[in-house]
Amino acid sequence: MRVELIEKIEGEAKLEYRFKQDKIDFVKIVFPHYRGIEEILRNRPVWDALAINPRVCGICGHAHLFATVRAIENLYQNAGIDVNIAEKAKLIREITLFCEHIQNHLKWIYLVIVPIMKSIAKINIDQNSFLEIQKAIVNINRVLAIFSGQWPHSSYMVPGGVVCDPTHLDILQARNFLKNALNIVERRVFENIVFEEITVAELEKSKTDSGKIFRFLKENSLLSIGKANDRYLIFGEHSFTKRVKIIKTVSYPVKMKYVNEKSQKSGFAKNVTYKSNYYETGPLARMMLLKPNLIKQLHRAYKDGISTRIFARIAEISFLFKIVEEHLNSIELSQKSYNHIKTDIKEGYGESAVEAARGSLIHKIWVEKNIIKKYEIITPTQWNLSNGTPQKPATAQKAMIGLKNGKLAELVFRTFDICSVCTTH
Amino acid sequence: MKSKIVWIQGVTCNGNSHSFLNYQNLDIFLKKVEFLYHPLLPSKYSLKELSEKRFDFDILIVEGAIKKSYERGIVSLNTLMEKLSIKARKIIALGTCAAFGGVFKSYDEKNIKGLIFDGEEKKGFFKELEKKVINIPGCPAHPEWLIYVLNMIEAKKKILLDDFLRPKEIYAFTVHSGCVRNEYFEWKVDAKSFGVKEGCLFYEQGCQAPYTHGSCNKILWNEVNSKTRAGMPCLGCTEPTFLKEELFKTKTYMSIPANMPLGVPKRAYLTITGVAKSFKIERLNKRLIDES
Repeated sequence: MRVELIEKIEGEAKLEYRFKQDKIDFVKIVFPHYRGIEEILRNRPVWDALAINPRVCGICGHAHLFATVRAIENLYQNAGIDVNIAEKAKLIREITLFCEHIQNHLKWIYLVIVPIMKSIAKINIDQNSFLEIQKAIVNINRVLAIFSGQWPHSSYMVPGGVVCDPTHLDILQARNFLKNALNIVERRVFENIVFEEITVAELEKSKTDSGKIFRFLKENSLLSIGKANDRYLIFGEHSFTKRVKIIKTVSYPVKMKYVNEKSQKSGFAKNVTYKSNYYETGPLARMMLLKPNLIKQLHRAYKDGISTRIFARIAEISFLFKIVEEHLNSIELSQKSYNHIKTDIKEGYGESAVEAARGSLIHKIWVEKNIIKKYEIITPTQWNLSNGTPQKPATAQKAMIGLKNGKLAELVFRTFDICSVCTTH
Repeated sequence: MKSKIVWIQGVTCNGNSHSFLNYQNLDIFLKKVEFLYHPLLPSKYSLKELSEKRFDFDILIVEGAIKKSYERGIVSLNTLMEKLSIKARKIIALGTCAAFGGVFKSYDEKNIKGLIFDGEEKKGFFKELEKKVINIPGCPAHPEWLIYVLNMIEAKKKILLDDFLRPKEIYAFTVHSGCVRNEYFEWKVDAKSFGVKEGCLFYEQGCQAPYTHGSCNKILWNEVNSKTRAGMPCLGCTEPTFLKEELFKTKTYMSIPANMPLGVPKRAYLTITGVAKSFKIERLNKRLIDES
């Protein structure tokens, strides 16, 4: 067995490889860190979860806040309390969530994927390109902060809506910051705002970093490596997603009760399955639902290999820019930001799902006399990085098995956009 | 010559690393320093090399709380800290976890602490390093706060610290200073609800800004806003007492806030409150922006 430490993935993970005839025969994924968030939440007042849960993760804390607020709202609804969220608050919640996705995906391209590509073969993307993209990230996070007060670690979503009460001037500023960010992204990442609809032939010719990444994969015969189970899952319901599993491009409805989380013998991450099967969650799953032209073509040619997975995440950036702009344009500011909710709960349960940058995030809360008795969090990386058996490998394992060396396996592993802190929480 | 920095992590969520990436002049800053290790940015050494190689450097940044047995790379956090802290000229405990223990402390009170402090007490795991350490608490810390401290160190200028080793230029202020809701605080007009621009969040919604040290409303977050400006109560995240309980409700004794604004005696507060409340300021009791 050979053990490789994988770092700069919001913490670390270990890959324990078993080789057979110069190929990876099996690989185990181990996450070493645990911070006990679910235990910290126990015996605290319900709303304290709004302050604690964003601290699960420095890069997707907003998704955890959104999942928390939805879980608490579901708790109230299950107790017969009317929860009425104005359209304005719904739009603001999505704007900030999608901004978080955009900054996440941009960091992933330049701090995670390009560096590992560079260590495999030559790719003509400047070392300093991140510094240009970082200006886009600064601007995107400004859009977010206009509504949430700050990023990271705001708790501005509360049961009943959002705490902010923006003006037209705020919206104008947000639109300008968004435009500034898009200008930078269009200069570097893709030149076309309908990037997700371009053809593979157009992608191959593109002078942008997306084109360079595609040509790198093609020249090094890497386009179709990293195929997983070609099965996808989306739990978070938003303006462009619904609760489905997708098998061979066909969608089927799913229910939370079939999600199963189980401890493992080594490491602190828990395995997650849906009806005992492993699924991929994240931008690729979401793009398999939306089926934009680029992803349809890539999937037809390379199935769920790394090229489809990588460009699904990049395509989602261009898609989300448009949604955020549409949302900013359609907010009706005269609506209420927040509707007061009666918050007294004798006993109850609530659950939620949100699409985080890396995929479906599930929160579950059990309450007695307004106090949290139990809290459970299932993160996207748990779905993608569960450990199956050699006979039935989980998603990322399946994608790495059969590869010739650890470097390629690391590239494939990193296409899942790992978040170590989320995985164990 | 460029300052050499090593940035390591203890028990953390990575929030300070990502907050740092919000720094608007990152390109300029990175021309002046070299990261021998950073948890996100490309850097000279890997985590394995960090514990195996011999090298000199100037500043150690620690993000996250200290749990001695916590694995970091191929060694324990304690081993890594012992090696690096000897070489470092200055050490920055970045964020409330590194400074005081922070959010994750309550999972394992005895074994999770800050570098110098364990909550409010000077009982951290590395308290012998006190002379080298500067605390920059906050959950997360603002990038401008960190850059300011690094610049002061590089220029060999004296940084005045408070009793919790926090730079006074950042933490002598309260989060309340500069809040756009200050008029409502002065005239004791509370926010009737979340989601409105009007009213102070100190009386009902649990805002801790009047007794929390920090520059959040002076050096704005992401250059555009702050929690309280956006209508969210301050959670007191720069303090050793972070995270308290029941964060969205003001704790009161006989309808009076249990915690007084910083340095204000209760008698003074009650006197001023009595006077302020005896007047009804029309402008502060209606919507700021309406059609009338």
